[in-house]
Amino acid sequence: MGARKKNLSLSLIVRTLTAWTVALLLLFPLIFMLITAFKTELQAIAVPSVWAFEPTLENFAAVNERSDYATFAWNSVVTSVLSTLIGMAIAAPAAYSMAFSPTPRTNGLLLWMLSTKFMPAVGALLPIYVIFQQLGMLDTTAALTIIFTLMNLPIMVWMLFTYFKDIPHEILEAARMDGASVWDEFRFVLLPLGMGGLASTGLLCLVLAWNEAFWALNLTAADAGTLATMIVSYSSPEGLFWAKLSAASLMAIAPIVVIGWFSQKQLVQGLTFGAVK
Amino acid sequence: MSYLQLNGVEKYYGDFHAIKGIDLSINKGEFIVFVGPSGCGKSTLLRMIAGLEDIDAGELVLEGKTITDTAPSKRDLAMVFQSYALYPHMTVEENMSFALRIQKQDPSIIAEKVQRAAAKLNLTEHLLRTPKELSGGQRQRVAIGRAIVRSPKVFLFDEPLSNLDAALRGQTRVEIAHLHRELDATSIYVTHDQVEAMTLADRVVVLQAGVIEQVGTPMELYDTPANKFVAQFIGMPQMNILPFDGAMEAPADAAEIGIRPEHLSITDAQTSAWRGEVEMVESLGNETLIHINLDNATLSRIIVRQYQRTDAKPGAVVGVNLHTGKAHFFSEQGHALR
Repeated sequence: MGARKKNLSLSLIVRTLTAWTVALLLLFPLIFMLITAFKTELQAIAVPSVWAFEPTLENFAAVNERSDYATFAWNSVVTSVLSTLIGMAIAAPAAYSMAFSPTPRTNGLLLWMLSTKFMPAVGALLPIYVIFQQLGMLDTTAALTIIFTLMNLPIMVWMLFTYFKDIPHEILEAARMDGASVWDEFRFVLLPLGMGGLASTGLLCLVLAWNEAFWALNLTAADAGTLATMIVSYSSPEGLFWAKLSAASLMAIAPIVVIGWFSQKQLVQGLTFGAVK
Repeated sequence: MSYLQLNGVEKYYGDFHAIKGIDLSINKGEFIVFVGPSGCGKSTLLRMIAGLEDIDAGELVLEGKTITDTAPSKRDLAMVFQSYALYPHMTVEENMSFALRIQKQDPSIIAEKVQRAAAKLNLTEHLLRTPKELSGGQRQRVAIGRAIVRSPKVFLFDEPLSNLDAALRGQTRVEIAHLHRELDATSIYVTHDQVEAMTLADRVVVLQAGVIEQVGTPMELYDTPANKFVAQFIGMPQMNILPFDGAMEAPADAAEIGIRPEHLSITDAQTSAWRGEVEMVESLGNETLIHINLDNATLSRIIVRQYQRTDAKPGAVVGVNLHTGKAHFFSEQGHALR
């Protein structure tokens, strides 16, 4: 009995240590960045690394001064929020009709939509660049919003389709028999029942749009750049500014990390959709 | 003039012809039951009347107005689903008042109607609960309550009792019959259970493979089935069907003879029309079912129902007599001959 208990606690210790080691290894780059952001540039490039230092906020001030953090942050907010809202407005009715009035081709259509995500984005860069150039939309938040919407649409439709399919068809039919119009049905039945799914889909797409760098880098410059583009500007032409780069990165990811922290439950639910029922 | 009229109504699923031209007229206040084996199209037909399935051909007329293509929300029919289909996020009260709130009726009138329906269905003390806090029987009553608060033109029931246990099913069946009379409503009820059909219906519609086999009162179907299918579908245990051997007076072309189990009786083996060996005896207390293998040319197996108990044991040889005038005759094609 006593020996067994000892074994159990030993295995617990081993497991705990392993978990912490793996977690620290995975998080090390982020932790290193977090620490570096509070160093001076000299401390940041010192080899071996300085671990005892007086933290400074000068990098944050410098980043804010030099690159107008507020503008980049605003562009990130506008493009991710708008693309999510527009995407939801398109994806929700699409998923509704596919979930509740499927045709023999619905599955094929869903697979086709997903398959567009298999193509490397760079494959579509040239035509899309030219289109926006001809339309005079390069370096506009409108262009980025459109791209982000289209980029996330297949995922949105898929996720909402999966959520809606879990709602018994007969409940919507009952609402129809009760005299509900399509809008009533959506507002009073589908929306409250599908709220969890709608929220996690929205959150996931918000995060994906916020983190998007490829299109943001290629289609925008100073005016419509998002936080992702701001970070990049600290890495290339003017040499290496490790401390400022770290500060900029930290400022770029902070808002979405905070949102993510508070909505963990919905996000996990969204990412594992279909897996746990 | 009929209240609800189906004229040549048809339904296709791809190449599958599910409903093959149904003509039916239903009077105001009637209780109509659609009955048939699974896959016969009875639920499809009900859903077509509800508007939940499109009508591919023919027309549907309610109170003289064609509603073939009218949206379900505009037909003013109420449906009680097999799965109850209650709104899980609403209380009983909200479930029952949903249709009236959609119509934007006066809240005080809504409250009164809900109270009245709840009292009728013994739901008053559950009004503030959500469906998941209720038992199956209570959920079913909420589903019925949701239909009756609206005073719709027609009540549609899609196998409403099949999710209930046997005792509750019997009780709810009686309640539905009672409500129907009290509300003076027009109802269409789908079931595969012939007991529900026989006990609830003013008229029963027997369906098979998308076709109406017979429409009639329960006793008409029992006493004068139109064909062999109806004869065997209605009545438990099934009507005995034997090849006709010409041993008695019968209509010309009679190929088979049908006799209900209660129209046979066990007699002395010497003097009877038929003889056979008892295979099994089912004693149910109020009645006894005796399975007999006849020693006629086809060695048919028949069931005799009697209301007295019996000493007959499996293996015993007994005689079987047929009550005069109670035989049904069927042609080669299965049509009843009279």
